[in-house]
Amino acid sequence: MKRRAFAVALGLSLATVGVTACSSGASAGGSNTIHVLVYGDASNKVEKQIVETFNKTSKVKVVLDTIPGADYQSKLNTIINTPQAPDIFFNWGGGSIQPYVKADLLLPLDDMIAADPGLKGNFLSSVFNTAVIDGKSYGIPMRGTQPVLLFNNKKVLADAGLSVPKTWDELLNAVTVLKGKGVTPFALGGGDQWPTLMWYEYVFDRVAGPELFQKALSGDKTAWESPESKKALGMLKQLVDAGAFGSNFDSVKFTDGGSPALLAKGKAAFELMGSWAYATQQDANPDFAKNDLGYSNFPAVADGKGDPADVVGNTNNFYSVLKKTKHPKEAAEFLKLMYSDEFVKAQLAIGNLPTTTNTEQFLSTAASPEYSKYQYDLVKAAPSFQLSWDQAYPPAATTPIHTAVQQFFSGKLDVDGFIKAMQALPAS
Amino acid sequence: MSALSSASASGRRLRAGRRSGVGVTRPGLVWAVPATVFFLLFAILPLVLVAVLSFTSWDGVSAPTFNGLDNWTKLLHDPVMTQSIWLTLVLTVAGVVVQTPVSILLGVWAAGHQRNRAVLSAIFFVPLLLSATAISVVWRAILDPNFGIPSEMTWLFGDGNLMGSQSGAIAVLTFVGMWQWTPMHALLYQGGARAIPQVLYQAAAIDGAGKVRQFLHITLPQLRNTMITSMILMLVGGLTTFDTVLILTQGGPGTDTTNSAYYMYQQAFKSFDFGSGSAIALVLVVVATLISLAVVRLSGYDKMRSTSEGL
Repeated sequence: MKRRAFAVALGLSLATVGVTACSSGASAGGSNTIHVLVYGDASNKVEKQIVETFNKTSKVKVVLDTIPGADYQSKLNTIINTPQAPDIFFNWGGGSIQPYVKADLLLPLDDMIAADPGLKGNFLSSVFNTAVIDGKSYGIPMRGTQPVLLFNNKKVLADAGLSVPKTWDELLNAVTVLKGKGVTPFALGGGDQWPTLMWYEYVFDRVAGPELFQKALSGDKTAWESPESKKALGMLKQLVDAGAFGSNFDSVKFTDGGSPALLAKGKAAFELMGSWAYATQQDANPDFAKNDLGYSNFPAVADGKGDPADVVGNTNNFYSVLKKTKHPKEAAEFLKLMYSDEFVKAQLAIGNLPTTTNTEQFLSTAASPEYSKYQYDLVKAAPSFQLSWDQAYPPAATTPIHTAVQQFFSGKLDVDGFIKAMQALPAS
Repeated sequence: MSALSSASASGRRLRAGRRSGVGVTRPGLVWAVPATVFFLLFAILPLVLVAVLSFTSWDGVSAPTFNGLDNWTKLLHDPVMTQSIWLTLVLTVAGVVVQTPVSILLGVWAAGHQRNRAVLSAIFFVPLLLSATAISVVWRAILDPNFGIPSEMTWLFGDGNLMGSQSGAIAVLTFVGMWQWTPMHALLYQGGARAIPQVLYQAAAIDGAGKVRQFLHITLPQLRNTMITSMILMLVGGLTTFDTVLILTQGGPGTDTTNSAYYMYQQAFKSFDFGSGSAIALVLVVVATLISLAVVRLSGYDKMRSTSEGL
């Protein structure tokens, strides 16, 4: 008798919990709001401002939800196919939204673009194309572009009698000279793994052109064992073996301020890093950023197929719209603000470089006009702007890519091992 | 006859008494409902769901699809998985070996009545109050090869590439784990040592035993059960070490410190392969259960005898 009562009580309480769980799920997603989910960081200032501007005139109100950076992708992936999903969300284009396109969750923006061609025409095309998948547009650029640049410490270079390397041979020469002076040629935050990847992205581009990676990404795995691929890997290996990064780079991180400090304090002469490194230095070492922080494009490789004007990095961040949004019209109106003068000025003021065609006329209002102009000209003139490999592939490939680039630098993988690891990546 | 009847009457009374006694001292099963429901909901149900997920392919976005034993065969041939189990065991054993002697010594010392004992104990227990995240971030900075202690002590650390080699990274994880967890185990031993009857020491002193002999022949044997408790906690903690790995090494260099718990997280929440992640989680549950059972059996913890005064 007692046992049955126990079982009934158990069943009842389970049922209650189940019911409450369901009802709480259904209540999300208000009727007259658009939820916009963004990566939480310093740039949210602009997003808040744009949302306020939009809400002044619109009946349907935009609600901005920020998720602290490191957890953004996990959180998004967890909620995107649930009633808690946002209407519009921040992403990196490319592989980062591919699983959602495949699951038929995203709204192709081509109809919006047909209604307002400015939603495409007002953005630099090399950037806009990052969020084009299978010929359909899925994203509108909504922050700044982040090309990878070769930063340098001008004082260290001057002391060593060196100038900024324009070719690979000059770069190798700089390594020898700097080593002789007891300076680590290149600061590298190998502990984060993605800074190591940047070296592959540039060397592969310079040696083989952007086509090799595009071929590999589209599923042709033979690209990795091509002679160009092997040549690029050989050059990287040569660089590591020459001590270009010192010996303890795997214990150094960019994210905890380790590698930027090496550059700022003159213990290293160069650092290959995304354009955000400028803001990092301004924040951590303002005097260095003002007086001695130099920057240049990655050097050319003799006989290489890649154009020395090519850049790699994060083309921009994008807003994508979910198919099930109740307010596609208002969403389109909101997206139009991403090429407004107000947006461009606000982004420039906090040091971001928007990728709209009207950015150029406001460059003088930027936080550091000279630096912004340099980047803008670089991106505009670039024949190819390759999205970071770990963003171009779907998320499942990120860890294997990071592991492989780290292990090749540390010597745990040889050329063949690296090629095998890249060929084993989940196809897109 | 009268004797018999009185015996049976007393027997009846006894039985009746016992029955009423049961009613008073043993509460009904209904009392166990809240705890049981919570246990079922938050331990058993997720475990079953994870078991089901381990036979599916699920990226967390589209609906899970059953793929039979795919995850399991993949796991069986995955060198990272094999390595992760080995690493988990190495980290666990290293943790027990390093932490146990230090915490016994500290705990027994803290159980005494020396001068400044309370103040020093309070300082020793500070790491217990810090979150694992804070501890990891702090040690990461202290061990920075260019700006931390290694750059000042090159005679000991060389180029300071601690996180760049497998042995270095394991040593760091073990050391930080010791720094973090020793206080808690010292606390256990302090309690255990305090509970040892003073008469044992007095008797030993009369017999001429010095401090060291007293420690070896009275304190250590009397702490046997505390040791088992502490070791089981260390084992379970070691098997599920995650936060320090996440912040200090991120499983690196490469996959050199990717233990099973971190590999599970990586598969499920970085690569969004919840099927493989679930399979790893199940392996971890099974391994941890087996090890705990073995320890309980081997140590005689299941038939633990009282160590009250006079033994």
